Amino acid sequence: MYHFTRHAPGRRSTAARAALTTGIVTVLALAVTGCGGSSGGDVDPDAADGWSQEFAGTELNVLAEATLNSEILAELAPEFTAKTGIDVNIETAPFAQLVQSVTLDFSTAQGDYDVVSIPYDYLGAYAGSGYVEEITPLIEANAERVGDEFDETDIVEGLWDTAATWDGKSYGMPSNSAVTMMLYRADLFENADEKAAFAAEYGYELAPAQTWEQYSDIAEFFTRDAGETAAGEVLSEPMYGVTMAGKRHEAAVFEWMNYAGGFGGGVVDADGELVVDSDESVESLEYMKSLGAFAPPGFTSATWDEVTANLQQGIAAQAISWGDTAGAMEDESQSAVVGKIGYGDVPVATEGDEHHALHGAWTYTISTQAVDKDAAFLFTAWALSAPVQKKIGEMGGVPATRSAFEDPELVSALPSWPQQLASLENALARPRNAEWPQMLDQLALQVSTALVGDSTPQKALDDAQSEIEGVLGDKLPLKAF
Amino acid sequence: MSITTERPPVRPRSEGEGARTALGSRARNRVFWTRFGMQAPSLIILAIVLAFPLVYSVVLSFQSYSPVDAEADGHFIGLDNYIRMLGDAQFGRAVLVTIAYVVLAVGIETVFGTILGVVLSRLIRSRRIVTSALLLPMIATPLVVGLMFSFGLNPQFGFMTDFLRAFGLVGDGGVLDSAGGAFAALVVMDVWEWTPFIALMVLAGLSAAPQAQIQAAELDGCNTFQLYWHVMLPMVRPVLIVAILFRATEAIRQFDQVYILTGGGPGSATTVNDIFQYRVSFAAFDMSYGAALGVATFAVVATLSAILFRYLNRKGVDA
Repeated sequence: MYHFTRHAPGRRSTAARAALTTGIVTVLALAVTGCGGSSGGDVDPDAADGWSQEFAGTELNVLAEATLNSEILAELAPEFTAKTGIDVNIETAPFAQLVQSVTLDFSTAQGDYDVVSIPYDYLGAYAGSGYVEEITPLIEANAERVGDEFDETDIVEGLWDTAATWDGKSYGMPSNSAVTMMLYRADLFENADEKAAFAAEYGYELAPAQTWEQYSDIAEFFTRDAGETAAGEVLSEPMYGVTMAGKRHEAAVFEWMNYAGGFGGGVVDADGELVVDSDESVESLEYMKSLGAFAPPGFTSATWDEVTANLQQGIAAQAISWGDTAGAMEDESQSAVVGKIGYGDVPVATEGDEHHALHGAWTYTISTQAVDKDAAFLFTAWALSAPVQKKIGEMGGVPATRSAFEDPELVSALPSWPQQLASLENALARPRNAEWPQMLDQLALQVSTALVGDSTPQKALDDAQSEIEGVLGDKLPLKAF
Repeated sequence: MSITTERPPVRPRSEGEGARTALGSRARNRVFWTRFGMQAPSLIILAIVLAFPLVYSVVLSFQSYSPVDAEADGHFIGLDNYIRMLGDAQFGRAVLVTIAYVVLAVGIETVFGTILGVVLSRLIRSRRIVTSALLLPMIATPLVVGLMFSFGLNPQFGFMTDFLRAFGLVGDGGVLDSAGGAFAALVVMDVWEWTPFIALMVLAGLSAAPQAQIQAAELDGCNTFQLYWHVMLPMVRPVLIVAILFRATEAIRQFDQVYILTGGGPGSATTVNDIFQYRVSFAAFDMSYGAALGVATFAVVATLSAILFRYLNRKGVDA
C-alpha cells in the first residue's frame, strides 16, 4: 500500500541549485541582519547533556521503515534537536517503496537522504556498491561528541553481525530488532476443557508447540466453524488454527524461511551453496502448504498485515510472526486479544533441535552523499542511546540494545520481552548478497505458485533453484552472504 | 483519415526576380528560425521527456546494469539481454497472460458496450441520467478501483465474495485463491470500469449516423435486428474501432489494479507484462534486462499501432 509520506522533497538535486540557494540565503542574511553569521539554530548549551553542539543548524533527512519504531523516533526527534541543534526530518515508507526510493537515491547520487534505515538483507547490495559509510571510523571519530547514554557494545550481538556487518566491516547500526517468534492464544491453551479435549484427541498435553508436528496438531484442533465452542464460548465466526502469509510477496518467503530453518533447509547453506531445492527445503514448503488447510480462507492473498489483523481479531490460534507486532496485540484500541497472547520459540522438526527464528532487523546506514556524516552519525547514536531505546520499548516498539530487553520495568510490563531476546539470540539471517533482490523475487513467485497448487513444492523449488543459479552464475558458492 | 495538403499555386517566375532571390532566402531563413524558436520550448520538453528516456533505455538494454550490484556496473554486453529474453519462460508466460487479458477484457467490453450503447440510444427521457451514471466507473482512478475490488473480494468479509458464495460460485478461499479466479477478477474489473466507455462511443456514433439511410432501410422493410446489424453497425464501426484501439493500448499497459489486487500472483497467473517488467526492474533491480523488455514491448506495441492505423486509414474512418 502507499503510505509514502515526504517531509522534505529533493533537497540537493544539483550542486548548482545548492550553490544558488546558499548564495540567496547568504545575501538575504546579510541584508536582513547586516552581518554574515551562520544559519545555525539556537541551542542551549545546558541542554547538551554531553552531546556535541558543533553541528547545530545542520538539517538531516532520515528515511525509515513505516513501523512503530519510526513513528516513536519521529515523536522523540525534538529531544535530539534540543540537545544538538541538528534538525531532523523523518520520512517513512513500507518495505518495497522504501527499498525502491533508497536504491534510486543512492544509485543516482542524489543525496536526498542522509540516514536511511534499510532492511538488512540489502546490506550487501548497498555496502558492496559503496553507497553507505563504514561505521567503525565514525564511531571512533565521534567518541567525544556522543553523550554517555550511547554505548555501541550494548547493541545485541547477533544484531550487529546480521544487520550491520558485511564482508568483515560494519556499515551501520541496527535500527530495530524485528525477529520472528511463535504467537499463540495463551487463554485457549490454558483452558481446562480445551486441554482435556486435546489430550483425548491427540494423546499428549496441550501446550505451546515445540515441534512442527505439534504446531500442526494444534492448528487442526483449533480450526472450528461458527457455532462451535472455544473455551466454553460459542463462536460467532469461524476460528482458525493458524494464520499465515501466502501472497506473492516478500512476506510469504519470510514465512517459509521460518519453516525451512526448522526443517534444516533454506536458501543458502553455511558453505554458500544453494539449498533451495534440498529435501529439507521441499519438506518445509510441503509442510507450509499443509498448514494452509487450517488458515483463514484466502491466506494465499495475505501478507503480514492480514496475519496481524487476524491475530488481533482473535480468529486465529497461532502464528509465526514478527516480534514487532506484539505491541499491536497488546494495544487495547485495536486488539481483541490484549493479555491473551503467549510468545514462544519458533518450533523445530524434532524435539531437542536448536530453535531458529528469522531476523527481520533494519539498519541505520549513513549515505556516502550525506550532508554531514558526523551529524548523521550523532543522530543514529542518539537513536540507539539508552533512554531512547527504553522509550521505544515503553511505547510498543522494538529496541536493539540488550539493556532495554533486560530492563526490569520493561520485562515486567511486556509479556513478549523475554521471547524477543531469546529469538534474537537464536535467529538466522536471510542472505544479504547483492543478488538477493533477484533471488527474493524468484522465491516469492515459486512459493506462491506452490501454495495455490499450480505446482508441487518440489517442482516450484526446483524451478526457483535453477532460476537463482542462472542469476548467480559463477558466483556460486557464495563467498559473502 | 486522409490528409490533404494545400499547396500554394506556383507562380511563374518573372524577369528580374533572380535579383531578389538572396533577399528571399534571408526572409525564408528568418521565417524558419522564427517558427523554430516558437516551437523550441515544446520541442525541448518533448525531447527531454520522450526522446531521452527512450534513447537511454535502448542504450541500457545493451548493458549489464543493476544499482545494487557493483559487478553489474553498466558494461556493454551486446545482445545478451535480448537473447535472455527469448529464452525466458517467465517473460513468455507474462506475454501470454497479457494477450489473454487484453483479448478477453477488450472483447467482452466491446460486445457489452455495443449492446449497452444501442440500448442507450433507444432511451428517450432517462438517457441523460443513465449516461451520467455510466461515467462513474471511468472517473475512479485505477488505484481506487483496485482497492475497491480488493476489499470487495476479501475472502473473509468482502461483499463481492459473499454475493458469489451465495450462488455457490466460489469456495472458502475466495476468488483470488486460484489462478483462474484471480485472472477472471482482473478481467471483470476492467470490463466493469470500461464497458461504459465503449457504450458512450457507440452512442455518439449512433447519434451522428445519417437518419436518411436509416429511414430508407425502415421503409424497405428491415426489421430492428437487420437495421442494427446491416445498417447502423457499419455506420458506427469506425468509431468502435477507435474505441477498441484506445482500450487495447490501455489494457496492454495495465499495472495499477493488478499491483493492488494480486501483485501478479497467485504464482504468475496475473503477471501481465508491465508487472513482470516492474518486478525485473524495481523488485529485482535488474535494470538493463528491464530496459530490454521495455524496448521490446515498445517495438511490439508501436508495430501493432501502426498496423491498426493503416487498417483504419484503409477502412476510411473519415466516412
